[in-house]
Amino acid sequence: MLTSEIIWQTILSGILMGCIYALVAVGLCLIWGLMEIVNFAHGEMLMLAMFTAFWAFSLYHIDPILSLPLCMIVLFIIGVATYFIIIKKIIKAPFLAQILATFGLGIFLRYLAQFMFSPDFRTIKNPILSGNINLGGIFVGVPQLAASLICIVTFIILYSFINKTEVGIALLATSEDREAASLMGINSDRMFALGWGIGAACLGVAGALMSNFYYIFPEVGFNFALIAYVAVALGGFGSIPGSFVAGIIIGLVEFLSGLLIAPAFKYSFVFLIYLLVVFIRPQGLWGRY
Amino acid sequence: MGGNKHKWIWLVIGAVLCLIFPLFLTLPFPRHLMIMIFLYASLGLAWNMIGGYAGQISLGHAIFFGAGAYTSTLMLMKLGVSPWVGMLVGGILSVGIAFIIGYPCFKLAGHYFAIATIAIGEIAQQWMLNWDWAGSAVGLTLPILPESLINLEFHTTKAPYYYVALGIFILAILATYGVDRSKLGYYFKAIKGDLEGARSLGINVSKYKFYALALSAFFTSICGSFYAQYVLFIDPDSVFPLMLSIIVCLVATLGGVGTVWGPVIGAFILIPISEFTRIQFGGGGKGTDLIIYGFLIMVISIYQPFGVIGISKRFKKKESA
Amino acid sequence: MPLLEVQGLSKHFGGLVANDRIDLRVDKGEIVGLIGPNGAGKTTLFNCIAGFYPPTAGNVQFKGEDITGLPPNEICLRGIARTFQIVRIFKDMSVLDNVMVGAFSRTNSAARAKQKALEVLDFCGLAAKKSLLAGGLTIADKKRLDFTKALATDPSLLMLDEAIAGLNQTETAEAVELVKKVRGSGITVLLVEHVMEVVMPISSRVVVLDYGKKIAEDTPEKVIHNEEVIKAYLGDKYHASRRAH
Repeated sequence: MLTSEIIWQTILSGILMGCIYALVAVGLCLIWGLMEIVNFAHGEMLMLAMFTAFWAFSLYHIDPILSLPLCMIVLFIIGVATYFIIIKKIIKAPFLAQILATFGLGIFLRYLAQFMFSPDFRTIKNPILSGNINLGGIFVGVPQLAASLICIVTFIILYSFINKTEVGIALLATSEDREAASLMGINSDRMFALGWGIGAACLGVAGALMSNFYYIFPEVGFNFALIAYVAVALGGFGSIPGSFVAGIIIGLVEFLSGLLIAPAFKYSFVFLIYLLVVFIRPQGLWGRY
Repeated sequence: MGGNKHKWIWLVIGAVLCLIFPLFLTLPFPRHLMIMIFLYASLGLAWNMIGGYAGQISLGHAIFFGAGAYTSTLMLMKLGVSPWVGMLVGGILSVGIAFIIGYPCFKLAGHYFAIATIAIGEIAQQWMLNWDWAGSAVGLTLPILPESLINLEFHTTKAPYYYVALGIFILAILATYGVDRSKLGYYFKAIKGDLEGARSLGINVSKYKFYALALSAFFTSICGSFYAQYVLFIDPDSVFPLMLSIIVCLVATLGGVGTVWGPVIGAFILIPISEFTRIQFGGGGKGTDLIIYGFLIMVISIYQPFGVIGISKRFKKKESA
Repeated sequence: MPLLEVQGLSKHFGGLVANDRIDLRVDKGEIVGLIGPNGAGKTTLFNCIAGFYPPTAGNVQFKGEDITGLPPNEICLRGIARTFQIVRIFKDMSVLDNVMVGAFSRTNSAARAKQKALEVLDFCGLAAKKSLLAGGLTIADKKRLDFTKALATDPSLLMLDEAIAGLNQTETAEAVELVKKVRGSGITVLLVEHVMEVVMPISSRVVVLDYGKKIAEDTPEKVIHNEEVIKAYLGDKYHASRRAH
């Protein structure tokens, strides 16, 4: 029975999940816009963030709220390391190599995790953020609500950083025109590394937040990554706020199509959005080009 | 010229070895290995047409493999039609799919195209998982028919499968040779090299991208039909997954994209590694061989994006310098 | 009948008027130069004729046929070939293969394409380098290759987009000779150029653009004394009467 409560419930759940998709997408967009390299290991990095939170909890009893900064830092390091070890070497490589390099990394990380952590689904039991609250007849999970709020805050901080600080503007400049930026004394190498670090750090935040309520397993990142690609394309290449809003839209579409049409096909609808966007409006909703 | 003569001798030796192989090695495993190598080499060669020559990186090729597998199987199970006919029909169907998804997708550049192919591949897999008439997630088990060439089923020995696989492989090589030396090959490479430059020389880019994809789809589909007849069981996870698309791409890249023998070399290196890791570390879904795949993909793309053939070309340059 | 006739061609990019109602005529056997200060709209006009984007208004007729808005590959098949300001060569293919791509526009046979390519390579002086990888050529040779493969499409009209910019003196002289040789073989040439020493001596007619409009069209001698042209290039302070001193 499709009551208006269920519909509102679904809409709200979709938006809340969408905020998380949004932050994941923003991380991807940052890297993509900065150097036109797509991080096909984005999902696996998210998975690593979730596992970081999980092991911090299982081994050291650190609640995900507290391990969030840890996850952020770990992922930042992973991002920077990825840049120096892999990405830097393929900046001038043929296009196929660029796609395959990060894809290879993703597969490597995923199956390494499967080997080391086993494919079992894990959860964090009874974190600090748990339970439901009642918002005017609609039940909302506390972890989901907190996650989406923190994602929004993170986005605002990131956005201000990029547009208002010197380093952030240097980052923007490098993404617009690498050579012109270096003529102005901006070290593009460092900018790229920073971009990767920040992009990955976003995943650190998202992962820590999701570990409160989502299953943690080696393949978990894959779907999130695909959603992130769609979000970046929908929002428009190079537009970070665009990716954020697009992430929320996708969350909505996913949940609503799962409810109104068929749960088995909800991802298909997300991909359908991607195809529609790139065929009909290639520059996305807010894109630069 | 000495170089060409060398090539011919190696080709002949190789051909003879391939033909007499099953007569010497009668154990099932070596034959299975060679069948897999031929299968993946053919898949790699097929992918090579669109990905290597024409430079359009498709990561959704499994859709054609699955289409071939399911078409011939369904035609066999529901209509009693010989899998050879099913193979052909599957091939034609795949060309049709290539047409429908190709034309809109060809307008996309680079990353957007690759992601679109992933999206399409995923949608296809989702669909098949939920299509009850075609077996949905349970999959289709092929009926055990009397052993014969028409039925494309052999139960006592793998040797006939070996020869069919070899036949497909030879066809794929011939097709690639044909493309490489003809207007098609030049046009494909031009499209990969510089799209606008190609256009200004009279090339209808969309049309030729489609030709590349159609050829690629056809051969991939045939491999899919063969696979179904060989393994006698198919389900969406075995014939439509993203991993298959990636492996096919990797086979071609490892050996050297845009060349005739690159994907062959890639298959001869990759498949034995994969099969042996599977045996060493046991199945059990641990995916250990995939760790190696991932690592290999990274290494190849960072250090030698032009594959093994690229490495050997560098050697030749150094020698002649 | 003129070989190429452009009537009232305009091209707007949003609010920017890159070409404003331009008329242009090229007769068979001519070499017509298209000049003008930076930003005058020369390359835009070029691209409109060559089909890279459709004009906002006006039409383009070639050999009496309306080719306005046709895609670049159709335009090539009808007999207009072009080179690019930033050379578009196939850097992973050999020089010979590059030219063969051009030759294939007129034949389906690889043997015939190869033969045609060898002829054109010889004509353009690149025969010795036919087995080299295109990506490893010098800038001058890359431009020559761009030129050669355009020639291999058997054009009636060859459009050169700043083909001579960036070459040293020897290379420039060689390029000029090549253009003359091409015209001598019966191909009409329309060239966009900044280098006056190149355009003026070889053009039978020169068309001058400024701010998207055609401001002059005449023989080279008359054009360099044209007041509007001098003003466009040098600004208001200078004009012909001053040069008399």
